[in-house]
Amino acid sequence: MRVFAVALDLLREARSRKWTLALVGATSLVLVLVAFGLELDVVDGALAATRFFGGSGSGEIRPVEVALRPLFEAVASTIFGAGLVFGVLACADFAPALLAPGRIEQLLSLPLRRWELLVGTYLGVLALVLAGALYGGAGLSLIIMAKSGVFGWAPLLAALLSAAAFSAVYAVMVLSAVAVRSAALSGAAGGAALLLFTVAGSRSDLAPLFSAGPGRTLFLALTSPLPRLTGLGQHAFRLAAGRGTDLTLLLAQLGGTFLFAAAVLAAAVALFERKDY
Amino acid sequence: MLAIEAEGLSKRYPGGVGRPPQEALRGVDLRVPAGAAFGLIGPNGAGKTTFVKALLGVVQPSGGRIRLLGGDPQDPAVRARVGYLPERLELARSWTPLEILASVARYKRLSLPRARLLAQLEEVGIAEESGRRVGGFSKGMKQRVGLATALLGTPELLVLDEPTDGLDPMGRMEVRGLLQQAIARGATLFLNSHLLAETERVCGRIGVLVSGRIAREGPLDGLGAPGAAETTWRVRFAPAATDPSARLAAAGFSAAPDEAGVFRLQGDAARLNAALDAARTAGALVVELRRDGQDLEAVLAAAVEGRA
Repeated sequence: MRVFAVALDLLREARSRKWTLALVGATSLVLVLVAFGLELDVVDGALAATRFFGGSGSGEIRPVEVALRPLFEAVASTIFGAGLVFGVLACADFAPALLAPGRIEQLLSLPLRRWELLVGTYLGVLALVLAGALYGGAGLSLIIMAKSGVFGWAPLLAALLSAAAFSAVYAVMVLSAVAVRSAALSGAAGGAALLLFTVAGSRSDLAPLFSAGPGRTLFLALTSPLPRLTGLGQHAFRLAAGRGTDLTLLLAQLGGTFLFAAAVLAAAVALFERKDY
Repeated sequence: MLAIEAEGLSKRYPGGVGRPPQEALRGVDLRVPAGAAFGLIGPNGAGKTTFVKALLGVVQPSGGRIRLLGGDPQDPAVRARVGYLPERLELARSWTPLEILASVARYKRLSLPRARLLAQLEEVGIAEESGRRVGGFSKGMKQRVGLATALLGTPELLVLDEPTDGLDPMGRMEVRGLLQQAIARGATLFLNSHLLAETERVCGRIGVLVSGRIAREGPLDGLGAPGAAETTWRVRFAPAATDPSARLAAAGFSAAPDEAGVFRLQGDAARLNAALDAARTAGALVVELRRDGQDLEAVLAAAVEGRA
């Protein structure tokens, strides 16, 4: 499948980009700092003390699985948010670079269909963001396990949910790149999508801020088709904190996010198919 | 078989804010036989690059029909048989030439070993830079990498848009050699270049595109004076030898030499040979003989001005 060849080429290109390498380096540095700075004293299955660069945490002695929940929750929220920001920052340039004058002509002359080129780019970027988020999540999980003997799936789950949320954000970025061919605008579109999806995630809390009537109805109508970004994040945080979550709601929100991403990507492909370069 | 067939091809770019719509191609009819070396020339804004892009589906024609190697240009199987070098080539800056070639080979489903890719880079004179990122390359070096990708897998049709742009004279000579090799192995060459001398040296057929229409098209020899009854020959004799004027006049050529002693004789090859034989029998010595055709510059100028 040529779609996967395009996606693999994008990953190869990312591997040799200084910007991507810098972000991977920064993530590694954070992991190293946490590895050296975090101290967890576990005695007979209970967390006796927590220190981060010398600063002490709660002195209360609790079972380690329970005591680590706030830590996992913090890690999950970091991974979820950082995954999205990493995606927007590191990947804003990929689609516009592919569509750059002189490069797109050559790519379109190759035995590739236009949709394969765009969908391959999209999948490549998603794979990159997923790999980045999983790297950070797995790294933190392993560090905590090495320090406490407890392996938590929450950071990995947060990485997966972050990549799922990013699928909708990046679809918007691809559509913007096809329309305008600018990395700055693609990044701005990603930032705007993050903001709008966050607002959509809290639409029921924000709706009362609008006076009842057409304003509130319009707000609810406009935010209705948007992915619920904060909703997805909260599932990750709740699971990390051991509070359990509504699986049906999680699946519905994931489905909505993927449906939105597919619709926006289809619009981008339709625009790309009839565009001249 | 035709390598390229365009029928009534038109392209209209829609206007935008403060930008009127533009008719880039207005019913182009063109047939390029397989194995030909075809050069497309024309003034700036004539629609040459739009035509090249339409050939490969990079721009969507507004009307008309294009066939490439007997198939639809949108068909990946057809495009796999084509090598293309765009006018303003931009390459993935963080990749090396070797990675770029490997990527193109994968898309074309060519299983070429590294040694073959290196040989391709060697052919265009860039093998020593095969491991360097192209982001730091000069325009000429990028052009060589682009040419290597176009030539990869010995394509049946080569579509090159300004292939010698940015190359030094030696580079141009090397590229000309490569193109002549490709033609010799039976590939069709479609060359769009503003360098008329290059086009003239490589291409046997020429098309002149003016204001989105093919103004002239045909073999290089026949382009100079369409409709002209006879060919003009430029003949020079050794000054010390016998004056050939009387013999030439007897053979039906009414010509007097110019200040440099050059005769311009109008007639077919048989009449010319008879006249030259007569002059040489009388003691005249031919030191220069060539067809006095119009060069491409003159052809282009005439086509632009709408002269026959």
